[in-house]
Amino acid sequence: MSFSWQKIADEFNLKKQADELGVKVWQSPSFLFILMGFIIIMAMTGVYFAARNYDSPEIFIISEFLIVIVLFTVGNVLIRGVEQIAHANKMKTEFVSIASHQLKTPLAAVNWEIELLVSKYFEGLNAKQREIIDEIGRANAKMGRLVNDLLDVARIDQGRLALGKEAVDMAVVVREVLESNRILAKAHGVKLVLDAQEGLPAVSGDKQHLVVVLDNLVSNAIKYIGKGSKVEALVRERDGFVEVSIKDDGVGIPKIQQGKLFQKFFRSDNAVRNQTEGTGLGLYIAKNIIKQSGGKMWFFSEEGKGSVFSFNLPARTK
Amino acid sequence: MEKKKLLVVEDDSTLHKALLEFLSAEGFEVVGALDGEEGVEKCREEKPDLVLLDIILPKKDGYEVIAELKADPELAAIPVVLLTNLGSLNDVEKALAMGATTYLVKADYKLEEVCRKVKEILGLE
Repeated sequence: MSFSWQKIADEFNLKKQADELGVKVWQSPSFLFILMGFIIIMAMTGVYFAARNYDSPEIFIISEFLIVIVLFTVGNVLIRGVEQIAHANKMKTEFVSIASHQLKTPLAAVNWEIELLVSKYFEGLNAKQREIIDEIGRANAKMGRLVNDLLDVARIDQGRLALGKEAVDMAVVVREVLESNRILAKAHGVKLVLDAQEGLPAVSGDKQHLVVVLDNLVSNAIKYIGKGSKVEALVRERDGFVEVSIKDDGVGIPKIQQGKLFQKFFRSDNAVRNQTEGTGLGLYIAKNIIKQSGGKMWFFSEEGKGSVFSFNLPARTK
Repeated sequence: MEKKKLLVVEDDSTLHKALLEFLSAEGFEVVGALDGEEGVEKCREEKPDLVLLDIILPKKDGYEVIAELKADPELAAIPVVLLTNLGSLNDVEKALAMGATTYLVKADYKLEEVCRKVKEILGLE
């Protein structure tokens, strides 16, 4: 008997159920079930008071009966629907997560084999062959980034994105990211400028993920501006926060689409027209990383004039 | 100077082979194991200077292997470097708490970086 009591208790453990399905507590099927019970009781009480005016017990009983049947049926159908959608959503996220994990081993294998070839067995390779190997390596690296993006999105959706809390000097991170984007900038004829305040306090964060955030902002800025322009990175301390802004004078984002910019898979018309590549996941991931690190991300953009993307992170208290 | 001996416990044959070839070419004596059970056995037989250990392995997983190595007074001091693709900090933290020296994410590291980390831990650089 104790077993079934346990089962019933579990059925009504709202927090646990909500966490399992990845929904809010008020969206969990058990909460909706309790809410439905409450609504039925309210409706029955209402009918009782309304029926007092008629001196007919038959009408009273029939209307109570009908009200309960209708509310119970409609309520149950809705709850079942919510439950099914929540389950399907959870399975989709799990699928993305498992599939991306499985892709990582062959990705590592291709990377390592290429490295082995060019570092230890390069004798006899001519320039053309090396060029082809480099292309394979670049394509594989791109696939690696894509898989990492998908994994990050799955983790964010599951509320399981684990972020470290090390002391990070944002000026150093910004400089590194600008450095790693030099080749891309050169290819687009774009100048990269860093303006970092001296003696900035460290922030608390996950360096690897902060690099992802900045790399997204910087490479976006480079890709969507014209030749001969410049991308400026500003790092400042403001009210106990370290604020980073990436400013470009590029195509800008149409006003009407600005509200959707941080949504998953969203790509603005200007982005699609200028650059066919891209998943529309970068800004969604970036915003979530910053939010989870205790900061905020925002932007200002005018079509034809350019955009400024900024975020801040709380300075680390010693 | 005598060659340092490494044990690579990795079940994916391509990754296994790549690690063995690269690290041998870098001047290490490298022994391989394809599952957790073999990993523990080889560790007892060969007494390596360092173990590179995958987490998801047949027969015994990486956690079980660490637990066995750390429980054996003769093997407990051997540094263990985790090779993972989990990338989830919780799993990594669990392994570090069990006594692993450090970890690296396979898909994000080059062989050269793996090798550098090994040398760093062994005090060769």
